[in-house]
Amino acid sequence: MMHRPGRIAFGLAAILVVSACGSTSPAPTTSPAVGASGSAVATQAGPTPQPTPSQQPLRVGWLSEPDSMNPLTFTTTEAQEVLQLVYDTLLSYDLNLKPQPGLATDYAYSADGLTETLKLRTGVTWQDGQPFTAADVKYTYDVIHDNQLGQWAQWLIQLKSVATPDPATVVLTFDKPQAFNPALIIPILPKHVWSSMNAKQIEAFSNDKPIGTGPFTFTEWKKGASLTVSRNPAFWGGPPSEATITWVLYGNGDVMAQALKNAEIDIVAQVPPTIYDGLVGADSIKTVALPSFSFHHIGFNVSSDPKSLGNPLLRDKTIRQALSYALDRNQVVQLALAGHGQPADTIVPAGLSDWHLSIPADQQLNADPAKANQLLDQAGYTARDSSGIRRSSSGKPLEFRLIAIATTDVDVRAAQLFRNAAQAIGIKLDLQTLDSNTLSNIVYNSAAPNWDIFVWGWDSGVPDPDYMLGVPLCSQIGGNNDVYYCHKQYDALYDEQASTMDPVARKQLVDQMQQMYYDDAAYIVLWYQDKLQAYRTDTWQGWTEVKGGIIFNFTRDNYLKITPVH
Amino acid sequence: MRRLRYLFTKLGQVAVTLYAVATFNFVLFRVLPGDPVRLLARAGHLSPEAIARLHQVFGLDQPLPVQYLYYLRNLVTGDLGMSLTYRRPVFDILAERIMNTVILLAAASVIVIVVGVIAGVFAASRRGTRLDAGTVIGSLFFWSLPTFWTGLILIIILGVYFRAFPISGMGAPGYIVQSPFQHALDLARHLALPTLTLILVDIGQFVLITRSSLIDVLTEDFMLTARAKGLSARQVLWRHGVRNALLPVATASALYVGLVIGGAIQVETVFSWPGMGRLIYDAVLQRDYPILEASFLIFAVVVILTNLASDLLYYFLDPRVRDA
Repeated sequence: MMHRPGRIAFGLAAILVVSACGSTSPAPTTSPAVGASGSAVATQAGPTPQPTPSQQPLRVGWLSEPDSMNPLTFTTTEAQEVLQLVYDTLLSYDLNLKPQPGLATDYAYSADGLTETLKLRTGVTWQDGQPFTAADVKYTYDVIHDNQLGQWAQWLIQLKSVATPDPATVVLTFDKPQAFNPALIIPILPKHVWSSMNAKQIEAFSNDKPIGTGPFTFTEWKKGASLTVSRNPAFWGGPPSEATITWVLYGNGDVMAQALKNAEIDIVAQVPPTIYDGLVGADSIKTVALPSFSFHHIGFNVSSDPKSLGNPLLRDKTIRQALSYALDRNQVVQLALAGHGQPADTIVPAGLSDWHLSIPADQQLNADPAKANQLLDQAGYTARDSSGIRRSSSGKPLEFRLIAIATTDVDVRAAQLFRNAAQAIGIKLDLQTLDSNTLSNIVYNSAAPNWDIFVWGWDSGVPDPDYMLGVPLCSQIGGNNDVYYCHKQYDALYDEQASTMDPVARKQLVDQMQQMYYDDAAYIVLWYQDKLQAYRTDTWQGWTEVKGGIIFNFTRDNYLKITPVH
Repeated sequence: MRRLRYLFTKLGQVAVTLYAVATFNFVLFRVLPGDPVRLLARAGHLSPEAIARLHQVFGLDQPLPVQYLYYLRNLVTGDLGMSLTYRRPVFDILAERIMNTVILLAAASVIVIVVGVIAGVFAASRRGTRLDAGTVIGSLFFWSLPTFWTGLILIIILGVYFRAFPISGMGAPGYIVQSPFQHALDLARHLALPTLTLILVDIGQFVLITRSSLIDVLTEDFMLTARAKGLSARQVLWRHGVRNALLPVATASALYVGLVIGGAIQVETVFSWPGMGRLIYDAVLQRDYPILEASFLIFAVVVILTNLASDLLYYFLDPRVRDA
């Protein structure tokens, strides 16, 4: 699982995720803790001395490269991993994936929730020596909002204005209260470097020499080989231990694992499952399997648009629910995923434990072929042809096209299991495998979606349920909505939760949405895969296991807290 | 005069072929279904306005004939467009990678061709002996080895078990070189395993081609004549035999050099070598059309030029071509 081509940092990323080995897709993730459903923090490996500058480099292995060093246009997880160490955000996630101060030391909302006032750290300088001020923050937020730039724009849609009453204060005003605080994820750019460019120039800007305020300065990117950043001695949070961090590109996972064993690298961000099993128990190597914020799913074309070329029978919820009952998710996890994940239910991954709704076993549409048959019989799909395939009352066979990404082994295996499960309840699926871009183009051809059922996956782009809940919206048809689901009530709940600041009230809305989307069965969410990582125990110490991964997560703090082993 | 006409005819053919390849490249990537910008839009929810701007940035908002004219004009001026993935000029990206691939392949191709030909000559001149049988069996064995697997086996044996050579990349990550000599030494160590892999899997074909070609020549009547003239066995073999047997080898070498430029994908992948093969592999996965167009064009140029070179070589090697 996990792997794939590295693009896409957020979002659909997941599709790719799985293929063979590699990098992963999902990027960041959220909440802490490992282990049971929990909450908090994880275990420390070893004692935790304070970071002090050392001469030792940290070397990280990855299987695909960043696309760009431009924080407004990049799409890969790898780019995010590097840029989050060069650029700062106003607030950031700590090792429990809770907000902590960043370039802002403090923040407060107005009583109506429409205004957020952030106090900025003073005395911070950009890596080129210029002072950092509120004008940089205003420029960054305005340029993203005004030009709809990149992946950040979606979090500033309701931004009304950015005011800077003094150089150390920023006041953000929104049209509606924001349950998700964009200050946690938007990188702050130096106005003096960027403001001379228009939007088109920014889109084409490769930013070969990134200048940020973060703990590391950009040093060198040897394309196709490695990327290096160096300690920023003037970092406002105190200099980290690592003299440099070098991410080394490997062409395949086996060689990367050997390099870890040879001590040519210190940590591997994404270990392919087959290779993971071979690393468990190796000398001086610790392997970790952490919950991720990603899932894979089966999607049904439920488009009600007359131009849709999908089989209209799939608009009948009964058939979708029967297919869901037919499949045993636990078996899929064992057989397709070699056990490296959890059987899934709703579209908010279990790793987001504060927000995930766990459907009780007796209410799950899962692993009950008898129930599936009963549903289909009751709905009148009783006639069968000579090979046992059911027909609708108007004589149409229950036969659908099923597509999956050929290089994503786990998806192909899941699709095969699904095909067999459907066969057992009298539904025929014709499986075809494609490359990921072709599949994506077919699924997202909103002018005339010509497909019935697919298998792929998603990663949550932020550690908040908003990202995943925001996929099946009517307004996202033509955007991220991969199954053309459209339900006014669901959309209304989405808008409401997005502006509900009280976590308890918001959780109720989020639960309602998860339940509703689960029952409608436009997705069969298959599994929440584990994030598999491995590191050497004889070079660096102090790695904290965090839900979503030690590194390649929404928090960068592991990079800032480790110390050399002497 | 005749020589010049031969040259100009060949050059004219090359120019027409290049134009055809360039046009085919343009058409090929534009008849494929799907909008490349859609792939960029996967990261998060992009607004229609942002998507329209991306089309402009990459020149995809123009009608196809206009795009074609721009494409030709840019090609002539050496502008290969901008990569969809990296958003940098394709020319810059290719320049970095081609050098790395040439470094990787230069040593390997010379060794493969020279050693392969010599081994083939020895086998052919001792036809039917154990040495010959051993060479043929050995060549077939190595030629049958899958590149990827061979690379991994070398990594495990020489890289991991004996730790004799580094297993990936062109240089040790984070390694500060003190002198150009040290840099060259580090590079040579990193070259060892990929070069050895290429030699093992590719040398067999040259041994076999040379051997069978030379055996054919050695059975010709003029070989007997040469002996009858009183030439030594060595003179007969090298001056009369090998020279005639080299024609198919010249063709095979030209094809080989053309193919390896793009064909080292497997070796580059196993050894994480930052060359053209990896770049193209990634570009295919990411549908980075500008990179693919430019790479294919370069391959076409290399193949066409090496074939031109082998045609010209024929001209000198074989008087029959000259007189025809």
